[in-house]
Amino acid sequence: MERKDNAKLFECEVNKRKQAEQRYRTLFEQSLDSILVIDPKTLLPIEFNDRACQELGYSHDEFKKLRITDHESTETAKITRKYIDEIMLEGQGILETEHKTKDGYKKHVQLAVNVIELNCNKVLHVIYRDITQYKQSEARLKRMVDELSRSNRELEQFAYVASHDLQEPLRMVASFAQLLTKRYHGQLDSDADEFIDYIVDGATRMQSLINGLLKFSRVGTQGKEFTPTDVNVVVEEVIRNLQISIQETGAKITYGELPKITADTSQLIQLFQNLVANAIKFHSDASPQIRIEAYHRDRQWVFSIHDNGIGIEEEYLDRIFQIFQRLHRREQYDGTGIGLAICKRIAERHGGRIWVDSVPNLGSSFHFSIPDKEGK
Amino acid sequence: MGNNQSEIRPVKILLVEDNPADVRLTLEALKEERILNNLLVAEDGLEALDILQQKGKYADESLPDIVLLDLNLPRKDGRDVLKQIKTDNRLKRIPVVVLTSSEAETDIVKAYDYYANCYITKPVDWNQFKTIIKTIENFWFTIVKLPRGEGNVK
Repeated sequence: MERKDNAKLFECEVNKRKQAEQRYRTLFEQSLDSILVIDPKTLLPIEFNDRACQELGYSHDEFKKLRITDHESTETAKITRKYIDEIMLEGQGILETEHKTKDGYKKHVQLAVNVIELNCNKVLHVIYRDITQYKQSEARLKRMVDELSRSNRELEQFAYVASHDLQEPLRMVASFAQLLTKRYHGQLDSDADEFIDYIVDGATRMQSLINGLLKFSRVGTQGKEFTPTDVNVVVEEVIRNLQISIQETGAKITYGELPKITADTSQLIQLFQNLVANAIKFHSDASPQIRIEAYHRDRQWVFSIHDNGIGIEEEYLDRIFQIFQRLHRREQYDGTGIGLAICKRIAERHGGRIWVDSVPNLGSSFHFSIPDKEGK
Repeated sequence: MGNNQSEIRPVKILLVEDNPADVRLTLEALKEERILNNLLVAEDGLEALDILQQKGKYADESLPDIVLLDLNLPRKDGRDVLKQIKTDNRLKRIPVVVLTSSEAETDIVKAYDYYANCYITKPVDWNQFKTIIKTIENFWFTIVKLPRGEGNVK
């Protein structure tokens, strides 16, 4: 009776183990990663799944005669062998190398190697995965980043040089046209006077465009280091700088307690100054009321400049931050359309962004964010 | 306006400038501002130094009262000319006004490091340019006291 029970129990145990074996075999065989057990002395595979040989285009019988380094060039094989020696000491490691398929194609592979004990022998448990596509897109991305930063540098240099060297001939055109007006106004016919006026006007406008371009390119080329900056001091300075237009328009500027942040101080002054100056410039019939606020959100500071000015139609909201974009006729509001483009560039140089909400005839709120490096 | 002293004898100006249109503009500005002057023009840095060191055909040339110096010049750069003037014991007291279109911070710093007496960016506007020329004359020959002797207004 007892023996019979024991035999039953034994059979049951065997079945359980068979099932467990079957289960793990399935996990091993059907893995999408190649799994191998390798003898560290010969580097020949002791065991491997189908994926391992299929990946490199070999049959099971062919694959078992090949050392893991046989899939590599002599150069990388040497490195791999050395690395495996290190892994034997350290217990595990991950390496990337190139394997050749049977047809001679190269594949980037990542090998995760673990030293385990099987039947009292130390063996290498290797899982490897084809990362060729990943490597290719990584290389493509790197090429693109290199290309982009190169063309960006060139563009900045170009804008700077062009605006600098363009000043000289422009000065000649403007100055001599002004001389012509001064000395010969009324002596030629009225057409000539008008033409000369257009030359002077065109040259003067081009001058301010070039100056704008120069300022714009300087944001990138002449930026200073980021230092701890008290925004209260920045805003005080801005108000001092804008004193004349504040008095002329009767503008009222209010602000609460503003934070200390890490920034290029002079660029931050420029950023606030452009926004406050705009808030004053585009005022409605009422005298300008401007409120500056700051709040902290998602590890960044958001600053807002609210005004009660003429506002901006929704369809133009995207355009206003682009270089040389203007919404008004020159007789209405003068300007080159560079101010907000500079603001955007400064915010972006600090890792932040700039945006606007506006209701026509009621006012606008410009916001920009600056990452909080202090991590408060 | 200049006082009696500066009206007695014309101010001798050395203008170092390679652009003939710019030279003409300076001449016109001097004329319109009625500054009595004796303008000497050097078209590059080497010529400027020849004049100042009284070399060759300039052997009989007296020293200027003031130098208006452009920075970007052919052959010898304006910065080198400035350095040479300010390290030459015979020339270093002559006021050197750097008059250039460059607004680059590095140019400004370098000019003062080499002891430029002042640095002025040329304006595009003609009236402003005239004002600047007039101001230079007024400042250096009416307001400022300079030592007597060769190279200075007596």
